[in-house]
Amino acid sequence: MTTPLDHILIFKTNILTAADRLAIENRLNTHCGIERWSLDQQDVDCVLRIVSATLTPADIIDLITCQGFACAELD
Amino acid sequence: MRTRNADKQELVKQKAIELIVNDGFDGFSVNKLARACSISVATLYIYYRDKDDLIRQIGLEVGQTFFAHTFRDFSPQMPFAEGLTKQWENRARFWLEYPQEVAFYEMIRLSPYGEFVLEESMVAFKEIMSEFLHRAIRNKELTPVTPEVFWSVAYGPLYTLLRFHSAKKGLGGNAFELSDQHLADALKLVIKALTP
Repeated sequence: MTTPLDHILIFKTNILTAADRLAIENRLNTHCGIERWSLDQQDVDCVLRIVSATLTPADIIDLITCQGFACAELD
Repeated sequence: MRTRNADKQELVKQKAIELIVNDGFDGFSVNKLARACSISVATLYIYYRDKDDLIRQIGLEVGQTFFAHTFRDFSPQMPFAEGLTKQWENRARFWLEYPQEVAFYEMIRLSPYGEFVLEESMVAFKEIMSEFLHRAIRNKELTPVTPEVFWSVAYGPLYTLLRFHSAKKGLGGNAFELSDQHLADALKLVIKALTP
């Protein structure tokens, strides 16, 4: 099934290294509102992509900044 | 509500192929692609998970397009010589009409993305070709050989001629332009070689 585009949230982050990724991985994997997520660490913006039917961009920004990383919606 | 835009997706595919063929996989980035398409980086991430996903998905699409062209007006029930002739026509047409896609597919086949792309795009191809070849062997129209030997003999000459044509040079650097006669001469020899 194709994911509704409104359920895809895209963020610019500074989750740069493998260790950084580990630091957020558990939180994202276990969050019941997150269906899927991926992080493009090859990209200059370390783009975080979240698929969620219920969470808002602000929810994700809170979640990531609480772990000590920068996170902003990517235009 | 955001909607999928088929024109935009096609533009993304075409520009990605162009950038990868010109700059290679290492020189390619989602940011460069977004600039080339005059769209936002975020839009690309709506459609693709990351750079690797984008390359794999586009590789898969190109592979499927290639195999669809290969099988145009072809049936595995065709007599061997007729079926092979049709495939030569289709493969030559694809090579000449879609040079960027051909260059991209060659690159992806030999890259770490190749295994995924070939495995996914060749499923239907293998089934159809297997039926065609087994039938030809049963009907004593084709000498049984390994798939690798069959492929080398059946298509190797075609791609050698197409490469001469693309380079615009034949042996010794002489000017070369592929003609229907070249293809017919080579195909005749190929069919003769493969027939028991």
